[in-house]
Amino acid sequence: MSTATETPPRRRLADAHVSLADRIGEPAFRILCGLAALVAVALIIWIAETIFDKSGSAISKFGVGFLGHETWNPVTNNYGAATLIYGTFVSSLLAILIATPMAILIAVYLTELAPRFIRRPVAILVELLAAIPSVILGLWGIIILGPFMENHLEPFLHSFLSWIPLFSGTYSPLGMLPAVLILTIMALPIITAITREVFQSTDPQLKEGAYALGATRWEMVRMTVLPTGRPGIVGAVILGLGRALGEAIAVTQVIGNVAQIKASLFQPAGTMASWIANSYQSANPGLGQSSLIYLAAILLVVSLVVNIVARLVIRRTGRR
Amino acid sequence: MFAALGLAACGSSSSTKTVTAKEAANSGGGSSVGGATTLIGAGSTLVAPLMSEWQPAYDTAEKVAITYGAIGSGGGIEQITGRSVNFGASDAPLTPAEATACKGCIEIPWALAATDVAYHVSGVPNNLKLTGPVLAKMFTGQITAWNDPQIKQLNPGVSLPSTKIVPIHRTDGSGDTYAFTSYLSKVSPTFKSKVGNATTVSWPGGLGAKGNSGVGGALSSTNGAIAYIGISYVLENKFDSALIQNAAGQYPAPSPTSILAAADAVKTIPSGGTQGISLTDPPASAKGAYPISTFTYVIVPKTGSSAAVSAGLKKFIEWAVTTGQVGAQKLDFAPLPSPVVAADKQTIGLIQ
Repeated sequence: MSTATETPPRRRLADAHVSLADRIGEPAFRILCGLAALVAVALIIWIAETIFDKSGSAISKFGVGFLGHETWNPVTNNYGAATLIYGTFVSSLLAILIATPMAILIAVYLTELAPRFIRRPVAILVELLAAIPSVILGLWGIIILGPFMENHLEPFLHSFLSWIPLFSGTYSPLGMLPAVLILTIMALPIITAITREVFQSTDPQLKEGAYALGATRWEMVRMTVLPTGRPGIVGAVILGLGRALGEAIAVTQVIGNVAQIKASLFQPAGTMASWIANSYQSANPGLGQSSLIYLAAILLVVSLVVNIVARLVIRRTGRR
Repeated sequence: MFAALGLAACGSSSSTKTVTAKEAANSGGGSSVGGATTLIGAGSTLVAPLMSEWQPAYDTAEKVAITYGAIGSGGGIEQITGRSVNFGASDAPLTPAEATACKGCIEIPWALAATDVAYHVSGVPNNLKLTGPVLAKMFTGQITAWNDPQIKQLNPGVSLPSTKIVPIHRTDGSGDTYAFTSYLSKVSPTFKSKVGNATTVSWPGGLGAKGNSGVGGALSSTNGAIAYIGISYVLENKFDSALIQNAAGQYPAPSPTSILAAADAVKTIPSGGTQGISLTDPPASAKGAYPISTFTYVIVPKTGSSAAVSAGLKKFIEWAVTTGQVGAQKLDFAPLPSPVVAADKQTIGLIQ
């Protein structure tokens, strides 16, 4: 559509008398655009190269065993990422587990159920959640969410579910659970926005077909919107996961920052991103810094893989 | 690569600095003779309140503006290692690895302070008494509840709740961590072998927070919490603070007097700027000494600064260890003992 409108003026320009400025301007503009793209590509390669280069001494010292080693001890210069990898995945996966059903419900509401005049405002407000700077979410986590966790939510969960190790132990305003909820809030708008777009692109004929067969609105959603949107939802979830995996500041503010693996969600933990943010400036020169960059390398690989997978999945949906 | 980046960045920033310093000197009518008109430093948060006391005083006295970034001792060491500041400030002496990385840096003790032990337990009065070994057990998870018999025994007549103990520690490199773990390592062999002494250590459990202010925030929001924290944060937030037993068996509150008593116990003062002085756990002969006292250091490159900057640094540090000590006492810093000042002056002479 856009190419159709672009081509004719260009041809006309070539036919007419072309001024000198235009003759220089056109290729210059093309080179400028190309350079800008090149800078972006070079940047990602440069960053990746730096991270892998600087993590070299930790990689050669600890090898792959770094991933499964639980100690992080600056005194003995002995480092391992297991506790932080655990913290990263548990916090992000639980956040996605909560955010995904919520996002789907919101998307169904906004595309199929809500009165037309409130669809756009609500959609915009949900997406604005993503505009809140993470440090502000973290502050809110410290001031409101933490005390609420300790005094209400954690005792409530404990009273019903204490037989599950996840909800055992003493209550704390800072720990894995508030971090999970903060990450949920961050992932929710991303998953909602993409899911809503996917739902909107459901073929209206399919929907009408479902109604023609006598389906109720819920049955129509179940028969047409959800199945056709499934790959898109998966892509959205993976993108949300990518967001959660890399969040550093807000997580640092609420997670309690201890490199440990505890069954209970009430206990403090640490994630790779929060650990790097917390301790890079003061890490021991040499192996200490290199180990933190090794953490960064792991995080980078995980994030890139997650994002690439998400894009592939979403593109497959788009083609349908 | 990172180090290279740091060096490159500092190269450019220090050159801009000298330009601004020169410009300021020119436009300011050349009132300063043979010294920089601005000095830039960064590091310890413990010394930050003192720095805000010194800045206006030194500006008035010498017409030199001191810019200081309270980014933590570890950060201060990193910045001076990269030479992106004129001086770094740290509450912990440089480790051998840091000293090597810093390439010819010297450290000069320029203020004397204490790390407090504060707690937040509803139903427990202020000034609970604790000993070093008990404190070590609380931070390693061997004592888990506030009504533990070992705490009760030290505080007869105080009713203690069964609240769980939540030890809070610093996650960034911190001189407070250094002083606190130095003390606990000296009084508890278990702590020494399990945790050890450094600006960042591997804590078994508890809660981690960044900076003294982060620790203060976590402390005020967590019932049952105990933390080591700079004294100014205790006063500001009205935290309850513990009295720690010294080797003489006394329970002195952290104050300029009790900190000075700890400093007076140090018999040999090294000069030359390559050695720290440990004040934690002073001997029983030091009556009334607070056991978690610490020197805090200014770290400067021995050579390599521009002539204006090194002259400015020498003058400022000499002022800080002499005239500056008077202002320090208002903030519960103890004045430097005279042997330390004498050794400092010798060390300052090494800056070129």
